[in-house]
Amino acid sequence: MWAFYNGRTQARGKREGREAKSHGGYSKKKLNPMAHRLLVRRIWTLSVKDLRCLPASLSSFSTSLRSSTTPLSLLSPKRTLPRSLPHTSRREVSFNVQDHEDFTERVINSELPVLIDFHAQWCGPCKILGPRLEKAVAKQKGKVHMAKVDIDDHTDLAIEYGVSAVPTVIAMRGGDVIDQFVGIKDDEALDSFVSKLVGQ
Amino acid sequence: MSNLGHTCWLCLLWSHYQHCPIEIEWHGIWFVTGTFDYDLVVIGGGSGGLACSKEAAQLGQKVAVLDYVEPSVKGTKWGIGGTCVNVGCIPKKLMHQAALLGTALKDAQKYGWQIPGPISHDWSTMAEAVQNHVRSLNWGHRVQLQDKEVKYLNVKGIFFLFFMNCCFTQLKGNIVIATGGRPKYPTHIPGAVEHGITSDDIFWLKESPGKTLVVGASYVALECAGFLTGIGLETTVMVRSIPLRGFDQQMAGLVTDYMEAYGTKFSWRSVPKSVDKLSSGVLQVTWTDEQTGKDQRDTFDSVLWAVGRAPETKTLGLEKVGVKLNKESGKILVAADESTSVPNIYAFGDIGEGRPELTPTAIKAGKLLARRLAGRTNELMNYDNVATTVFTPLEYGCVGLSEEEAESRHGKDSIEVYHAFYKPLEFTVAERDASQCYIKVVCKRGGDQRILGLHFTGPNAGEVTQGFAMGFQCGATLTHLKETVGIHPTCAEELTKVNVSKRSGLDATVTGC
Repeated sequence: MWAFYNGRTQARGKREGREAKSHGGYSKKKLNPMAHRLLVRRIWTLSVKDLRCLPASLSSFSTSLRSSTTPLSLLSPKRTLPRSLPHTSRREVSFNVQDHEDFTERVINSELPVLIDFHAQWCGPCKILGPRLEKAVAKQKGKVHMAKVDIDDHTDLAIEYGVSAVPTVIAMRGGDVIDQFVGIKDDEALDSFVSKLVGQ
Repeated sequence: MSNLGHTCWLCLLWSHYQHCPIEIEWHGIWFVTGTFDYDLVVIGGGSGGLACSKEAAQLGQKVAVLDYVEPSVKGTKWGIGGTCVNVGCIPKKLMHQAALLGTALKDAQKYGWQIPGPISHDWSTMAEAVQNHVRSLNWGHRVQLQDKEVKYLNVKGIFFLFFMNCCFTQLKGNIVIATGGRPKYPTHIPGAVEHGITSDDIFWLKESPGKTLVVGASYVALECAGFLTGIGLETTVMVRSIPLRGFDQQMAGLVTDYMEAYGTKFSWRSVPKSVDKLSSGVLQVTWTDEQTGKDQRDTFDSVLWAVGRAPETKTLGLEKVGVKLNKESGKILVAADESTSVPNIYAFGDIGEGRPELTPTAIKAGKLLARRLAGRTNELMNYDNVATTVFTPLEYGCVGLSEEEAESRHGKDSIEVYHAFYKPLEFTVAERDASQCYIKVVCKRGGDQRILGLHFTGPNAGEVTQGFAMGFQCGATLTHLKETVGIHPTCAEELTKVNVSKRSGLDATVTGC
C-alpha cells in the first residue's frame, strides 16, 4: 500500500477515486480544460517576449487606468503566427526543468514524446519512483525524454497541470497530454506506460 | 453597492518586478485576468487569511488572496501559510519534539534500553526534515486554494490613496487585512541587526546555531531556548525583567526553574549593550547586569532576538486610506466584528489591536468574518476563554485568568485557589525531578465555585489542557471538576483530584496513588 504526499488530509477518498480512473488510462473529462490551458499557454508564450517590457511601458498607463480596454488588450494573449519549432539539439534524455520557457521549449515543443515527472524533495514515494522512471526511459534509448519538475520550485506550473498529489507523471506528445498517473508504479507497469507513449 | 467595474482600487506591486523602479504612488498593475470585480480581497496568506478566503470561496464569493513574504534581514524567505506554518507553531513544535526525544533517549536507559554509545544530535538532519514538512504544507495550501477557486497572488498589497479617494463609494467588494506580524530587532543596540537572527531565521538555518544567546523572555524566547538546550546546544536566555509577561507569574517561574535545572543558563536582569563580530567569526555580546550595574561580556555563535513582534502595517500604506492604528503598537484598531475605521476594510489576526496572537483564534475569526460578509451569519468571534500552551521543555497549558488577574478583578478574598504538586508516573523510573510539575485551579469563592482559571505544568500540557478548555467554555465549577472521575494513571487526572487550597496553607504535594 503506497502513500503519497499531497499536503491534504481530507478528500482522500475523492482523490483516490480520481486516481483509479487515471490508473492506466486518463479520464477524458479532465483532458479538455488542460488541453485548453496548453493551447492558451502556447499562444501566450509566443507573445511573452512582448510582455516582458511591460513594467517600463506601464508608466504611460497610469492616467489611463480608468479606461479598461487598453491595459486589458495589452495583457491578453495575442494571436500571432506560431514561430517555427526550435531545433532540439539537446543530448540529455532526462533533465530538470529550469523555468516556464525551458518547459515550453523542451517539453511542449519537443519533437519527441516526453514524460513529465512532478516531484518534491519532501515526498518519499517520489524518491522511489524517480529511479524507476529513469530506468524505464533509458530502456527506450532516446525515443522518449523525461522532464523533471520540482513542484516547490515550479509551483505555478504544477498547479497549472492540475497536480495535487505527488508523484504525478504526465505523458505528453506533441504538446498534448496523452496519459498520466499519480503515485508509484512498479517497473513492469512503468515499461508498459512508457511504451504506450512511444507508440510501440 | 455599485459595481466598481474594472477600476483598480488596490494597487499591486509585482514582487518580481523589483528591478523596475516603479513609484508606488503612481503606478498600478492590473490582475492578469483583466477584471477586478472580486467580492473579497484578503491581504495576507497566513492562518487567518487562508481560513477567511477559503471559507468565503466556499460560500460562493469571488475571492483573491495576496501573500508576500518580505525576506528577513538575514534573507530568509518562505512560502504560503504565514508565520504559523513557516516560522512559528509548526517548526517550533517539531523542534520541541526533537528535544523531547533527546530527553526520552536519556530516560530510555533506565527503562532497560541498551544504548551503545553517547547520543548526539545532528542539526542538519532535523532542519531538513522540518523544512521539508513545511514545504509540503506550503504545497498543500496552494492546492487547497486552487481547489476552492481562490485566486492566489504572490504580491504585496498596497493601498493607493488616489483611487481610494475617488472610487471608494463605488467599492463592490471588501478588503480584509490579515498580514500578521514579524519579529522586532532592537535597532538601538549596535550590531544587533547585522549579527543577530530572529525566529524568522532559526527554523531555516542549514547549519547548527551552536552556542546561542536568546535575548527575551517571551514564549518565543523560552520555547526556542528550550529546544536548543534539549538538542545539546549551550544556550543562555537573557531576561530584562520578568519571564512570560502576561502569563501567571507563579507558573512562569516554574517553567524557567525547570529550564534552569535542565541546563539552560539564565542571565536575569540583564540588558544587552552591543554585539560585535570577532575575527574568529564568533559574536561577542556585551551586556549590563542591572543588579550590579556592571558590564559583562561573553562570546556566542549565534544571537537570537526574541524581544517582541511588530505588526506588518508599514508597507500597506494604511494611513493613506485612513485606517486608524494604535499609535504605540502600530496594530489596526478593530471593532468586535473586525471592522476598521474605514467601511469595507476589515482586519483580524495578529494585526488586530488587543487580539490574541494565536492561530486558532485567527482561523475562527476569519471563518466567521467570511460568513458575516457573505451575509450568512451575525455571529461574532468570542475571544474569551481561549486556551493556550507554551511548549517549553516543561510545557505549560492554561485557560482563563491568571491568579493575579483573578485577584485584581474579583479581590483576593473572593477567590479560592486550589493547587497540587504532582509527579508524572513516567518520571519515577526515569528518576527525573518533578519539582515544577504543578496544577492550579483558580475559582470564585463560595457558591458553586465557578472556575476562573486553570493552569497546568507537565508533559503533554497542550493535550491535557484542551479537554478542560471545553469544560471551561461550558462554565465549569469546582463541583463539576470534583464530580469528574479521573483517568488513571495520567497527569491530567490530578486536576480532578485537586482539593488543597492555598489559603489553607497545607502541603499541596500529592502523595501515593
